[in-house]
Amino acid sequence: NVLLGCHRSYRSRPTHGIGKFKYLLPKEVPKKRKEKVQMKEIDAGTEYHYGDVNIQMTSYDLCLVEHFAQYVHRLCNRLSIRVNESYAMPTKTNEVLFMEEKGSKMQLDAVLTTHQRVVQIRGLSSTFAPILLEIIQSSQPEGVHLLMKQHTEADFKSRLKSRPELEELLAEMS
Amino acid sequence: LCYISPCSSWLPQRVPLRESHWQSSLLELRTSLPVRAQPKKKKKVDVKKEQAQKERMKKKLKKLEKAAPELIPIEDFITPLKYSESNRVRSLPALSPEESERRVLLLKKWCLFKQKQDEAEKKAIKGLVESQQEALKELRLESEELYEAAIRRDEGLFPFERDGPSYTPPLPGYDPPEGKCIDITKVYTQ
Repeated sequence: NVLLGCHRSYRSRPTHGIGKFKYLLPKEVPKKRKEKVQMKEIDAGTEYHYGDVNIQMTSYDLCLVEHFAQYVHRLCNRLSIRVNESYAMPTKTNEVLFMEEKGSKMQLDAVLTTHQRVVQIRGLSSTFAPILLEIIQSSQPEGVHLLMKQHTEADFKSRLKSRPELEELLAEMS
Repeated sequence: LCYISPCSSWLPQRVPLRESHWQSSLLELRTSLPVRAQPKKKKKVDVKKEQAQKERMKKKLKKLEKAAPELIPIEDFITPLKYSESNRVRSLPALSPEESERRVLLLKKWCLFKQKQDEAEKKAIKGLVESQQEALKELRLESEELYEAAIRRDEGLFPFERDGPSYTPPLPGYDPPEGKCIDITKVYTQ
C-alpha cells in the first residue's frame, strides 16, 4: 500500500521531529580560523559628510598618548560618531646623539621611543567636524601631536610587514 | 684606348688582407663561418631552460602571494621578559587610618572635579551645536544658496595638524648643541 509505505513525518502529526537529538547536545564552538588581514573598503564620503578619517596622535610619552586616544574614542562614542577602528601604529625608536662642546666625538644623549595611536571614524558630518576639532584641541595634552587626515590605502599598507622577496620577484617578472 | 671596367660600381672597398703570412684564413682571430647544425640545438635548450625558470618563478610568486600579509607587531604591547622572570615582590607598608581617610577624601574631591569638567565640556558642545544650528537657520532664511554652500564639506579641513601646547615658551637666543638622530627601529620582513 502506497500510503502505509510512505514514512514522511508531517508537521501536524505528534511524531514530527522524532529521532532528532542534535538540539540536545551542547553547542559546538566553530574552530577559530586565523583571520586574514584584509583592507576594509575605504569610504569616500559624500558632499555632506566625510568618509573615513584618521585621528593620529603621536608622542614620546606612551601613557599620555594612550589615555588621550581612549579619551577621543570615548568622546566619539558619546557623540554617536561611528568608530571603525582604534589601533596602534608600530613604535619608532630614535637615538639622539649630540656633539660635545670640547670634544669632537658624538655622545649618546638618549634613546627616544615615538608612539602613535590612531582612531578611525566614519560619517562625520560637515557641520559637526569643526566642533569636534575644537573639543579635541582644547583637551590636547602637552607633547602630543595631533594629525587628522583622510584614510588612504597607503596608511593601511604602512602597518603591514614589508615583503622584499615578493617585491623582488615581481620586479624580475615585469 | 679607354679601359672600361667590367664592374658597374668601382667603389673603394676594404678588402680583407692577411696580417701576416702565418695567418691562414682571411677571417679575424677566433671567428669562423657560421656553421649550420649547432646553433639550433643551443636555442632549443635555452628556450626550454628559460621556460622552466619562468614557471618556477611563477610558482614561487603564487606561493608567496597566497600567504596573507601580516601586521607589524607593536612593541608597546609586548612586556619584556625581564619584568616577568624575576620573583621579587614589592612589600608595601600598612597605611594608617588617617592616611587612608585622607586618600579617600582626595579621591572624592578628584571625582567631583572631573565630573564638573565633564559637565562643562558637555555644556560647551551643546552650546556650540545650538548656536551653529541657529546661525544656519538664519542663513537659510537669508539665502538658500549660501546655506547650501555652508552645509557642504570643507575640502581644506583635512589634513589638519597641530602640536600640543608646551609648558613654557621657547627660550629667546637659545643655542642648541649640534647633534643628530639615528632611526634604529627594527624592520620586520615577512
